[in-house]
Amino acid sequence: MQKPPPANEIIKQGLWLENPVLKHTLGICSTLAVTNLLVNTLVMNIGLIFTLTLSCATVSILRNVTPMRIRMMVQTLIISSYVIIFDIVIKAYIPDISEALGPYVGLIITNCIIMGRCEAFARNNPPWPAFLDGLAVGAGFSLVLFAIAVVRELLGFGTLFGFMVMPEGFTPWTIMIMAPGAFFMLGIYVWIVRSFTMQFNK
Amino acid sequence: MNKRVFSVLYMFMITLFFTSLVTGVRAVNEERIQTNQKVKLQKVILSVLNIPVEPDASSDDLLRLFESSVKKKEMNGRTMYTVYDPSGKTPARYAVIVNGPGFWGPIYGMVALDVDGAKITGIEFYRHQETPGLGARITEQWFKDQFTGLPLSQDPDKKTFFSLTPPAPEKSPRELDAITGATQTSRAVEAFLNKELESIKGFQGSNEEK
Amino acid sequence: MTNIDPATLFFAAIFTNNILLTNFLGLCPYLSISRNLRSAFGLGAAVVFVMTFTAALNHLMYYQVLIPLKLDHLQYIIFIIIIAAFVQLVEMTVERYFPALYYILGIFLPLITVNCAILGASLFMVIREYTLIQSMAYGAGSGIGWMMAITAVGAIREKIQKSGMVPKGLEGPGITLLITGILSLAFMAFSGMIQIQ
Repeated sequence: MQKPPPANEIIKQGLWLENPVLKHTLGICSTLAVTNLLVNTLVMNIGLIFTLTLSCATVSILRNVTPMRIRMMVQTLIISSYVIIFDIVIKAYIPDISEALGPYVGLIITNCIIMGRCEAFARNNPPWPAFLDGLAVGAGFSLVLFAIAVVRELLGFGTLFGFMVMPEGFTPWTIMIMAPGAFFMLGIYVWIVRSFTMQFNK
Repeated sequence: MNKRVFSVLYMFMITLFFTSLVTGVRAVNEERIQTNQKVKLQKVILSVLNIPVEPDASSDDLLRLFESSVKKKEMNGRTMYTVYDPSGKTPARYAVIVNGPGFWGPIYGMVALDVDGAKITGIEFYRHQETPGLGARITEQWFKDQFTGLPLSQDPDKKTFFSLTPPAPEKSPRELDAITGATQTSRAVEAFLNKELESIKGFQGSNEEK
Repeated sequence: MTNIDPATLFFAAIFTNNILLTNFLGLCPYLSISRNLRSAFGLGAAVVFVMTFTAALNHLMYYQVLIPLKLDHLQYIIFIIIIAAFVQLVEMTVERYFPALYYILGIFLPLITVNCAILGASLFMVIREYTLIQSMAYGAGSGIGWMMAITAVGAIREKIQKSGMVPKGLEGPGITLLITGILSLAFMAFSGMIQIQ
């Protein structure tokens, strides 16, 4: 078995080089929907990072015992358990946000990034690097989603975290609150980043 | 050990472990979740009845305030919340739960009426599945404020209490602003609320002698 | 509890609240499989089928088993297992009895388990308190809506590929997302079809 990559390499890969959203456009489904408000985005991202890091660590701890044939089932079980725990905790402590997120918390289960990282990294590496990998990928993911949410909330409501920041008389861009706004923002980010990396590589 | 037997056994153990973990977490937080739901409903009732709540009130304070100022009673299959005037003798306002189909799922709300049941003094929507930023705007203050002061009597021609129409400069008092872009939700709210108000109206009348 | 007409729900799920264009569910396979019309259509058809039946199965499971046993907090695990099992079952049946159909749909079936739209439809059905019939109508409508979106974008991408005018950085997911934004805008127009008054 090959040695796990060093920590700084893992972080660089997860945050930028192999950024799940910008590079692979993976795993956006469950979270993109709530990016019209920063608070909701923040809670969703915490949920994703929580599930991702712990699932990666757990899968990695069990990597030598889990039979190959049933590993997908085991992974699904682990991921959904952590998602349920997160769901219960936010229901108990931040009920308003839990209600606003509705079914989207549950949809973290089908976020392709989690299964992807478990398959591609965690099941071949020791727990600590696996945990770190989950953290880095999760952070990379959250950054992009957060960047989308900032623009959408600012233009759509004129607020940031619910505080009015736009001058009086500002007309909100209703389109930003609605679905097309999210598609356009993500498309534009992907475009910018790809163009930059292409020039950089030349 | 036989590989297949091990797989089954392993899966069983793992499932047992994780389901017990989840159930455990659930058991620990169960009470808190239930209190949250209770407090949420009481907050809605207090707000629709115009009872001021300290912004930093804890859930215990809220429970106490609720117990001391609001009386709950069942009547004609509906739950009614009554608030009394400062002397504590005569009822000042009522709040009644209303519900009906929205566009995406049930909408639950609360309507407050003055003591004669002649006009609406407040409205709240506390559970719904409408689209955020569109239909969900029924919970915004401007939308709810429109209902305040609406007389609880039907327009003789249209047989409705109110209607939701696109915003326009000149409107009759019964024409409230609909939500732009959420036509279906506006229509659903208009339909179910008119129906609910009609049933509440009869219900209020039968209680007037009390 | 709700008495929304199942037919209304069916059409609303296709047009006004398309599960992909307004709820963003099922984006991953949508972005990666929409390169050409044929595979987009194949995947879409498989989704329609699986979504309709898993919505019904999960509905029965939730109201007949989980609620009486007070195990409703386990719904996420149970739903995803039912979806996985159903997909597996369909795959085996189709492979055994309809080899021709398997040739078209076969490779797409395993992809469906991780399609968030399927789980999403089941979760929405519970949270919106739909009845069994409403759930099936909603599941079928959402599936067809998803299929429409992916086939439309598949066809557009094929054309764009031929034109070869897309800026380098925008190729692939970038342009697909922008097209989806425009599609989503277009679908929003459906919500105005029925005016108040």
